[in-house]
Amino acid sequence: MLNRKKWKLTTIILLSLLVFVGCSGDSASSEGAGGSGSGDSFAIMANLHTPEVPNDKILEKIEEETNKEIEIQWVPDNNYEDRLNTAFATNSLPEAVFLKNQSSFIQFRDAIEDEQFWEVGQYLDQFENLSKLKDTVLDNTRINGKLYTLYQGRPLSSQGLIYRKDWANNLGLEEPTTTDEFMEMARAFTEDDPDGNGEDDTFGLTDRSDLIYGAFKTVSSWFGTPNNWGEQDGQLQPEFMFDEYKQTMDFFKEMYDNGYINQDFPVTSKTDQQEFFKNGTAGMYVGSMGDVVSINNDAVAINPDVEFDVQNKIKGPDGEYGVWSIPGYGSLVMFPKSAVETEEDLLNILDFFDQMMTPEIANLSYWGIEGEHYEVEDDRALPSDDKALTDREVKPYMSIGIGEPETNGRYESKFDYDIKEKAEELTKENEEYLIEDPTVPLYSETYVDDGARLQEIITDATYNYIIGQIDEAGFADAIEDWKSQGGEAIIEEFNASE
Amino acid sequence: METTTLTAKEEAKQVKKMKRSETWRRVKRNKMIYLMILPGLIYFLIYKYLPMYGLIISFQDYKPYLGIFGSEWVGLEHFNRLFTSSEFWMIFKNTLVLFGLQIFIYFPIPIIISLMLNEVRHSFFKRGVQTLIYIPHFMSWVVIVSISYVMLTLDGGIVNAILETLGFQKVNFLLNDDWFRPMYILQVIWREAGWGTIIFLAAITAVDPQLYEAARMDGANRFRQMWHITLPAIRNVIIVLLILKIGDVLELGFEHVYLLLNSSNRNVAEIFDTYVYVAGLQQGQFSYSTAVGFFKGAVGLVMVVFANWLAKRFNEEGIY
Repeated sequence: MLNRKKWKLTTIILLSLLVFVGCSGDSASSEGAGGSGSGDSFAIMANLHTPEVPNDKILEKIEEETNKEIEIQWVPDNNYEDRLNTAFATNSLPEAVFLKNQSSFIQFRDAIEDEQFWEVGQYLDQFENLSKLKDTVLDNTRINGKLYTLYQGRPLSSQGLIYRKDWANNLGLEEPTTTDEFMEMARAFTEDDPDGNGEDDTFGLTDRSDLIYGAFKTVSSWFGTPNNWGEQDGQLQPEFMFDEYKQTMDFFKEMYDNGYINQDFPVTSKTDQQEFFKNGTAGMYVGSMGDVVSINNDAVAINPDVEFDVQNKIKGPDGEYGVWSIPGYGSLVMFPKSAVETEEDLLNILDFFDQMMTPEIANLSYWGIEGEHYEVEDDRALPSDDKALTDREVKPYMSIGIGEPETNGRYESKFDYDIKEKAEELTKENEEYLIEDPTVPLYSETYVDDGARLQEIITDATYNYIIGQIDEAGFADAIEDWKSQGGEAIIEEFNASE
Repeated sequence: METTTLTAKEEAKQVKKMKRSETWRRVKRNKMIYLMILPGLIYFLIYKYLPMYGLIISFQDYKPYLGIFGSEWVGLEHFNRLFTSSEFWMIFKNTLVLFGLQIFIYFPIPIIISLMLNEVRHSFFKRGVQTLIYIPHFMSWVVIVSISYVMLTLDGGIVNAILETLGFQKVNFLLNDDWFRPMYILQVIWREAGWGTIIFLAAITAVDPQLYEAARMDGANRFRQMWHITLPAIRNVIIVLLILKIGDVLELGFEHVYLLLNSSNRNVAEIFDTYVYVAGLQQGQFSYSTAVGFFKGAVGLVMVVFANWLAKRFNEEGIY
């Protein structure tokens, strides 16, 4: 009898276990499809800029404050576009999806026009904080007058030069104010032994395999090249058809031929590029001036005597200073209809982002916990010296924030390091000299479909011209190639939509 | 006349029928053994054949949100675009050139190494060398390409530093399209040649030692023995591996080529795999890149069938 009972019990336990496993399996798979989740618990796909996924400390606080349950799907910055496209192709996007930048936004335009994402413009007025988002920036993200995304603000242009102040002092050089002086500094840093060790072991500018966020585009603005597109004879033309673009290429070619720039820059990674600067091989860096903090931190560890400075206003041959600007947003968040099923769910998710724009939560997600990750001084936030700690616990969450300090009320930043303070000032100053991209509000179907592939032709040709693999005629051929493969149509379509 | 043809036909039918029932009988008799291939069969059906339905999207203007059933049918438009694009012949040529390098330069090397190892009398030394040359196979391409980058870069790379001290001109290995192919094949050889010897060495150990003895009696030296005994004995293995290699004609290692690819060598380094990746996953042109991949697969299939046919023509055993 007892034996039989035992058998029964075991069977029941086994059966219930089976059912249990079956159920949990089900819920796991439906979660994977990204379709589940009401508005109170949802997933966000976001960009991870640090090497490691952060711990939950800040997220738990955010969840507590906003009363939502959030799962963040972190995707490393390097393959964000691949993952985004793959998730989209397999219909497994989560409820809220961040787009990395303007070019992914352009790529998704077709799908957005096809009403695959929720139109959010009509709801913004219902939310106290979301309605504060700047109209000028929102206008840059509208499609056919409708708004599908919320933006994360970014300074319009933080581009400028960071250079070795101590080297310049050694050689008696002033900060460069024209492109000629820039070239002279690059020459002197290469040839005149700026570190005074008697060896020919330095060069001027360190650059990387990126024509946009590397040095090239910023230098091209100094020469007065338009930002992506510009007007010539009353017609919109791509930047590389302008003479200023060619002057910039010649400028780089001169630096390349004379060895003032790293000779393998078309294949150099950002890490290697900064390494040359940090370890005292190169003396000039063109890019985001805010990078001076992390560069200084690492450089001082190698050589305590280094001294950096930042400079933005470098005038071109025409005596004017200009700098290219982004359209006011860094990343954008949108809401796929495949995952967010009802209007009610959408409002719930928007409510979360509305709360993200209150000063308390904006500070929490951007700066961390006061007293632990930052201090408040003069009404500004001073981040903790323990960079490893903030990297691990706070920094990744910056990528899910919405708006900018003006709209979400979070603290502006304060730094112990006065050069960083100067960099922030110069970033503000840049706003008076911006060169904007005139095609941001315009539409070209060919550009959406083929623009990225066509741009590759020009990018390749630009590098090859600089390193001397093709000449002027070769570059002209590349432009013809660009035109014949669809560029002609892009020019027409942009001009027609103006 | 008519009756004879009829009977001949009937006879043939009869024979066929008998053969078929014979086959069935054999299957029935050994049904347990046949049952054992079922898991393998199911595996191939589910993971290799079933996903092929996705190829449909190469004939559509595929939009993920419309799905395979909702997307618009465009027929051969994507293939048309591929074959008329100016890049097609460049990619096709690059792929074939790299394939040629693999067949004519890389393929013989493991055979030569195996023959050489076979002649080593000192067993300790032989095993030591074998182990050492297997090691690179376990390194990923990222590591190998990065090491080459560090050694070859103009900005402080050791190779250029040596060239300079010897009084030569610096060589721009990374940004010069002439250097891409040598670099590619050398890296392949460095990583794979050792590993490739395993099968040949195994085949060599299976050769009957009496043959060598007999040859020595007839006065054949080491080289003659190698030429007249070892090589013919492993000929079958060589041919089977060659056919398999040709089947991989367009599998040149996406990861490897993609890591080496840059703006200055694209005209020799862009191959089908890298093109599919950039067009499909980075730029989101799903249908077009599927069409490119489809074409690549079709070429691979034709090559295998052709190589197998060729092997049979020369009275060798093919792979099927």
